[in-house]
Amino acid sequence: MRLIRWNPTRELSSVPTELWNIQRDFNSLFGAMTGGNQDDGSSGLSLWTPAVDISEHENEYHVKVELPGINKDDVKITLESNILTIRGEKKQEEDVKEEGMHRMERVYGSFRRSFTLPTVVKESEIGAIYKDGILMITLPKAEEVKPKQIEVKVK
Amino acid sequence: MTKNNDDALVRHGSNALAVRESREEFITPAADIFETPIAFVLRLDLPGAARDGIQVNVEAERLSIKGRLEKLHAEKTNVLYHEIAGKSYYRMFNLTAGIASDRIEAEFQDGVLSVTIPKSERMTTKEIRIQ
Repeated sequence: MRLIRWNPTRELSSVPTELWNIQRDFNSLFGAMTGGNQDDGSSGLSLWTPAVDISEHENEYHVKVELPGINKDDVKITLESNILTIRGEKKQEEDVKEEGMHRMERVYGSFRRSFTLPTVVKESEIGAIYKDGILMITLPKAEEVKPKQIEVKVK
Repeated sequence: MTKNNDDALVRHGSNALAVRESREEFITPAADIFETPIAFVLRLDLPGAARDGIQVNVEAERLSIKGRLEKLHAEKTNVLYHEIAGKSYYRMFNLTAGIASDRIEAEFQDGVLSVTIPKSERMTTKEIRIQ
């Protein structure tokens, strides 16, 4: 079972992120001579893409999202016509003052990721847990899509 | 205070690391470094690290941070997306003089490791009143 077909136009939306990542890599190579590249989130643009693992189990899907240091109230998970969307904003810790900043490699700002689920899931039983910087979403498959074993009698 | 002494804290840190990493499966965690009047604070993203598998070591003016990732998937699963890479985290920083290395403290919360490196007495910023 495939999750989604790769759509090149979908990738276009992540181009700014890619460019930003390249810039970040350069900055770290040359000792981060420039200041931060963070967005204050006000633009509403998604500036970073958290890494995601999705696995399929017999009765459910597990979606794991790397979101270190996020406030769980700043994350919103929605399911709309079988499209799972995870969006949110990572804010900088309050004890950090700009004048004392020496190096800034961690990313801040808003993000959004969407996935089309391959099968119907039980919307009412979707669960999410945030632990040690990982958001774990569990989506149980709807009864009708669970694999059934059909015994065929050979006559 | 000037920012000149800050580089000493992190100088060559990432370069030395790059050489090491080419041989081993480590992820270099992103780090923020900031300074307060009494300390330097390192903040590193270690999402999914096992709390009991995080090691912060100070040895010969080097601070190293290691973290082991929790097992990502149970066996017998069909992986549809795989972006979370690696088995462990590793990063090293060179410490500058004027740090109280015996008083370094670390805290791990929500996948973020904060390491507070207090400045030694002579390095702390003191406000001098004008008489």
